[in-house]
Amino acid sequence: MLWYKAWLETRSRFLTCLATLTIFCAVFVGHAQGLIRPEWKTDYNRLLFVTQQFVVIMWILAVVLLGMGGIVRERAIGTSSLTLSLPVSRARLLGIRVGMGIFEAIALAVVPWTTIFLVSFLARMPILISQVGFYVLLLLGGGSAYFAMAVLVSSLVEGEYTAPAVAFGLVLLTAIVFDAWLRPFNLWRLVTGDFYIDRHTYLLSGHFPLLGTLASLSAAALMLLASVGVIQRREF
Amino acid sequence: MTNTPVILTRDLTKSYGSSAAVQELNLSVGPHRITAFLGQNGAGKSTTIKMLLGMVRPSCGEGTVLGKRINNAEENRDMRRKVAYVAENKPLYGYMTVEQTVRFASSFYSDWRADVARRLLNEYKLPPERKVKALSKGMRTKLALLLAFARHPELLILDEPSEGLDPVGIEHLLQMLVAQAAEGVAIFFSSHQIAEVERVADHVCILDNGHLLVDASLDQLRQSYRRIDLVFASAPPEREFRITGVEKIQTKGHQMRVFASTNAEAVIQRARDLDAVSVEVAPVGLRDIFLETVKEN
Repeated sequence: MLWYKAWLETRSRFLTCLATLTIFCAVFVGHAQGLIRPEWKTDYNRLLFVTQQFVVIMWILAVVLLGMGGIVRERAIGTSSLTLSLPVSRARLLGIRVGMGIFEAIALAVVPWTTIFLVSFLARMPILISQVGFYVLLLLGGGSAYFAMAVLVSSLVEGEYTAPAVAFGLVLLTAIVFDAWLRPFNLWRLVTGDFYIDRHTYLLSGHFPLLGTLASLSAAALMLLASVGVIQRREF
Repeated sequence: MTNTPVILTRDLTKSYGSSAAVQELNLSVGPHRITAFLGQNGAGKSTTIKMLLGMVRPSCGEGTVLGKRINNAEENRDMRRKVAYVAENKPLYGYMTVEQTVRFASSFYSDWRADVARRLLNEYKLPPERKVKALSKGMRTKLALLLAFARHPELLILDEPSEGLDPVGIEHLLQMLVAQAAEGVAIFFSSHQIAEVERVADHVCILDNGHLLVDASLDQLRQSYRRIDLVFASAPPEREFRITGVEKIQTKGHQMRVFASTNAEAVIQRARDLDAVSVEVAPVGLRDIFLETVKEN
């Protein structure tokens, strides 16, 4: 039932984000209707690449929102004593929330790109499923750090609105810092596929960036472990 | 039937910076009885309860609930399977309906009694399909109580259980407390409603400024506490009455009122020895005991 609780807590945020992302993708690539001539294929691939930039922005905002919540927020709204009186460990409470968040984050990456794939197919501009898979995996592998950061912030910062404000601030800050001083390690460029795009064909090329993804996943794992530590030590 | 305390604390202390919310609390709550936990706002009642349930870590001291150490996370979790708790602000998830809340709570406890839950839903007239956030304060309190009463825990901890209830609801609550105790459930509840406490409690603990001032059975308190009104022919010899058990002395003209927690017989004897014109002894209600105890502290 904790999964059910996690679902009830996040479903409106999740469904709103999913609908927004999906509709956006469908409308954005709907322009393909006017790009049916074969020589415009590159333009279409470019359109997909641009779409990914927007999908990444919206996806990150969505997973940061989904990472919010948990017993620290419950403390702010007064329900933490009910949750903490359940015969469940705090680590499990957090684990289930993270688990639900991961499922929802996957859906938020897969559904919009599936929509893009279908809309493209219907628009007679079929795209390679490998390209779709590449974009989705970049989004999930690279973007996981943003979700974990949101979970960590929600474990540290109390307040219904303070925690999301801090999390969004951190997203912005990391984007600026990485772009200005740590360009080769820029998570944003990893997630959007900017490092791997062929500027002639606008297709993602080369091997999947396992190292970058692993680094992002490791950072995510560390932040989630830190969240467990914070939650276990915290007083309510 | 074992007499092992369901709650046992030794020098339990919780400090926030330089201020202590609970100080060296030595509490022993017996099984199969209703123990009232009284105190003014900020006396440390809720902090104590939160320490018992592992929500707040003690600064020092130790404690057990149902034999499980409160500061051991795993033991505390095991203990919570056997403890039903209703918190002060009756926290419930606003996004769940009444039915979802009941179903959610029932999934965690093997001692859940679905028939009792159904009966209480009807008795409390709780609309199953209504979202918790749309319930009135009284309804929320009833739902929070239902979640506790629908179980058969070994210990029931209630923090201000009657808050928000109408007189009918309060009456029902008191009956439920007595019924639960009759089934062998130990009940530990905090309240500001002394009249309710007097009706159901077997044992009373009074906490003030984090200190436990009174820990006695209600019968014992009723038997030992006395208000003795004395009249003297001249100015009352107040100093002569400052003996063991005398908590407070009020003097007005030739009259003197002595408030004794024990030793009332000695006060009466002394009054007679000092030729008191009139000696009237009256039992003291819990309300007066509480007020005098916290005032003195």
